[in-house]
Amino acid sequence: MSSGMPPVPAKDDVKATWTYLEAGVEKIMTDLRGGMDMKTYMGLYTAIHNFCTAQKAVAGTSFSSHNNRGGAHLLGEDLYQHLIEYLKAHLQGVQARSKDHVDEALLIFYIKEWNRYTTAGQYNNHLFRYLNRHWVKREMDEGKKNIYDIYTLHLVRWKEDMFTGTQESVMRSVLKLVEKQRNGETIEQSHIKSVVDSFVSLGLDESDSSKSTLDVYKEFFEKPFLAATGEYYNNESKQFLAENSVVEYMKKAEARLDEEKERVPLYLLNEIMSPLMRCCEEALITAHSQALREEFQILLDHDKQEDLGRMYKLLARIPEGLDPLRNRFETHVRKAGLAAVEKVAQEGDTIEPKVYVEALLEVHTQYQDLVNRAFNGESEFVRSLDNACREFVNRNKICKSGSNKSPELLAKYTDTLLKKSTAKMTEEDDMEKLLTQIMTVFKYIEDKDVFQKFYSRMLAKRLVQTTSASDDAETSMISKLKEACGFEYTNKLQRMFQDMQISKDLNTSYKEWCQTNIGDDDLKGMIDSTYHILGTGFWPLNAPTTPFTPPQVIVKTYERFAMFYNNKHQGRKLSWLWQLCKGEMKANYCKVSGSKVSPTFQVSTYQMAVLLLFNDSDTVEYDEMVEGTKLGKETLDPSIGVFIKAKVLLAQPEGAKPESGTSYKLNLGFKTKKIKVNLNIGIKSEQKQEVEDTHKTIEEDRKLLMQSAIVRIMKSRKKMKHQQLVSETIQQIKNRFMPRVPDIKKCIDILLEKEYLERLEGDELGYLA
Amino acid sequence: MASSSATEAKNFVMLTTSDNADIKVEREVAERSILIKNLLEDLGGESGEAIPIPNVNEAVMKKVLEWCEQHRKDPPASQDDDSDSRKKSTDIDEWDQKFMQVDQEMLFEIILAANYLDIKALLDVGCKTVANMIKGKSPDEIRKTFNIQNDFTPEEEDQIRRENEWAEDR
Repeated sequence: MSSGMPPVPAKDDVKATWTYLEAGVEKIMTDLRGGMDMKTYMGLYTAIHNFCTAQKAVAGTSFSSHNNRGGAHLLGEDLYQHLIEYLKAHLQGVQARSKDHVDEALLIFYIKEWNRYTTAGQYNNHLFRYLNRHWVKREMDEGKKNIYDIYTLHLVRWKEDMFTGTQESVMRSVLKLVEKQRNGETIEQSHIKSVVDSFVSLGLDESDSSKSTLDVYKEFFEKPFLAATGEYYNNESKQFLAENSVVEYMKKAEARLDEEKERVPLYLLNEIMSPLMRCCEEALITAHSQALREEFQILLDHDKQEDLGRMYKLLARIPEGLDPLRNRFETHVRKAGLAAVEKVAQEGDTIEPKVYVEALLEVHTQYQDLVNRAFNGESEFVRSLDNACREFVNRNKICKSGSNKSPELLAKYTDTLLKKSTAKMTEEDDMEKLLTQIMTVFKYIEDKDVFQKFYSRMLAKRLVQTTSASDDAETSMISKLKEACGFEYTNKLQRMFQDMQISKDLNTSYKEWCQTNIGDDDLKGMIDSTYHILGTGFWPLNAPTTPFTPPQVIVKTYERFAMFYNNKHQGRKLSWLWQLCKGEMKANYCKVSGSKVSPTFQVSTYQMAVLLLFNDSDTVEYDEMVEGTKLGKETLDPSIGVFIKAKVLLAQPEGAKPESGTSYKLNLGFKTKKIKVNLNIGIKSEQKQEVEDTHKTIEEDRKLLMQSAIVRIMKSRKKMKHQQLVSETIQQIKNRFMPRVPDIKKCIDILLEKEYLERLEGDELGYLA
Repeated sequence: MASSSATEAKNFVMLTTSDNADIKVEREVAERSILIKNLLEDLGGESGEAIPIPNVNEAVMKKVLEWCEQHRKDPPASQDDDSDSRKKSTDIDEWDQKFMQVDQEMLFEIILAANYLDIKALLDVGCKTVANMIKGKSPDEIRKTFNIQNDFTPEEEDQIRRENEWAEDR
């Protein structure tokens, strides 16, 4: 034979067979590169086959035979045991030689030996396949421990006879290499990768050798690797922080974390990702979280979004890392909001609604932007922002008289936006944006009922005086409020809108009715008129505060309309809100400068009544006015005042107060450049009165709201403890306003008195149907 | 045409049987034997060196290769394939039945060769064929079929019969 192998031995001679095999195995182990011919390969396989299929082995084996089981008797144990002995001896030699190497050289040695050994193991596994198929399989099927297929046997031996003695020095070299890389040196990463693969291969499952586990790798690689990583970053971070700013440190930590993350796919096992990250986070973030958090306030003060974002990302990685930040953030935003309000409050008592709302919005916008950009829009930070905003919107310097100042100002601001005005013609998109901003503030308002009150009053005015800028904008605002507070909140507002539409149709059919029912002559002499029919329950409007006798010409006009209306809707009562009526009068006695047209005066109905007196005489006494109009002094005087100021009337004697004895003369020389002269100017005292009224009705409404909530709760529960009832009531109405406990108690008392409720034993209350 | 002959050479292997006959066979066919497959994998098989098969003679080898040719495209038997269904049934497909219609001597040689060459499916077919020869026969008939001498004493035979009474098909 060319290879020099002796001929295949006698099939039943253990000693001869093993001697023959050992030579082959030795060649495979030590000189595979030298090549192996087919004869040798087949010779080895055949020798094993022949031995295992021999009828009987020659007695005198060195291994105690315990083959006395029932069934067919399989041969092979001798060869298996011989192989074990061989591998033990072989690995002893390898381990001894490993002592000559350290550091990277040791790694190279280990990897080279490992590769050689495992390749040989695969060869042997093939050559001993007959043994695997029969003897090993039988042993394993019978549940014998510590019997493995030939390849696994190689691994088991390596682990016992090589790995145990060298793994520590191997790991030391690995960790030195990794440290070098962390220090910025270039290393041969494949060395580490090979070591990892080797350690993983050695993770044999004791109960099932066909499976592998990561136990060996975890114990001997991952554990020391993580320990070294933690130590490295503990030292580095301490030193870096001692020499650099926190901001610089955060950059460093971020870079290090990225670096470690990238390291994993390069030569580590994916399984290490999460423990490695945790280990790095512990050393780089948790250990220094205090220092980081202290920097937070400074970064906030200087609005360093980028650095704040970095801090967020770092602290978000550790458990409970962000909680303290959220508290600080909330406090900071609240302070910023209060400061902003304080600043605008300095400008005086009568603050412009626009200035106030914009001040609130500016703070909100700034920090919402910060939350979105730096804090990833995280819901917890959003909540902190909301808490802070709710605080400074409802409790600030402007609101010190009461938390209903904010909703009042917000409603006023909304009114200025929605009101027709020549100064600004807002584009639709801009309008939508502004309304959305209003809703932002609205969301934080606690006394939503106050806003509702003011809003509905102003809406009523806009509708009645047709000063609303755009129906679309009005509808949009109402639907926004509906979305935020529900149907009930906007119900009346919508009814007001409906009334306006119905009135429009009614006026049209009234005109048609006039055409058919009134003679042409009468029609000519009629005053052109339009009417708004407003449902009593829905409009926040009060009856006139002053007595008034309308001029005859108006009486005729409205009686005609009343006739039409009663025809249409029998049994409905119309009451006239004179204070809201207005009209236009043509001043035929004078001309607009530079033209032949007479000017038109826009006046209130009260003013109209005053001016109509001058149709009969150019001079009218104050007492005659009182007599003719029956108006109260507090209404009449300011109405005259407007005429005097506009020089429509002249007081005699000049500068005389409106009182008995003063007479007024029509200024026939009245000069104006405008075709329409607006004399219907709101009266200051009236406005102030209105605000006060509104606040008063709010108090009344709140009482009713609380009482109805209490009754509702008791109706469904029948019996309830006092304390429970109070907290339940707060729950139910807090989205309208924050009720005070004493107020609720007062309401309960009222209901007890009215016998809706009764006192039961203990602290309980009962519902009386 | 040098290149095409080179690829051709790659696809064929030479086997040398125990009686020194050379058989040229397609590599894919030869690789039905796990032994040959592993050997070619380990040694490369590029050298063109003949593979010695010291335990199989030409006649048997040819028979075995005939089977391998027929089953060249069979999916490789997976690890768990010998469990349950295939193991239990003694069904043999038609071609294999015909293939196994050989004298007893040859049948046993094929089984031994399949075991040696590690061709599991062929080994199974062989064993099933033998099993079918035993099935439904009395001990005496079996002895006759396989030409076995009864070396039990009457006492021994009696005892065995009693021990296995439970398994008798009555």
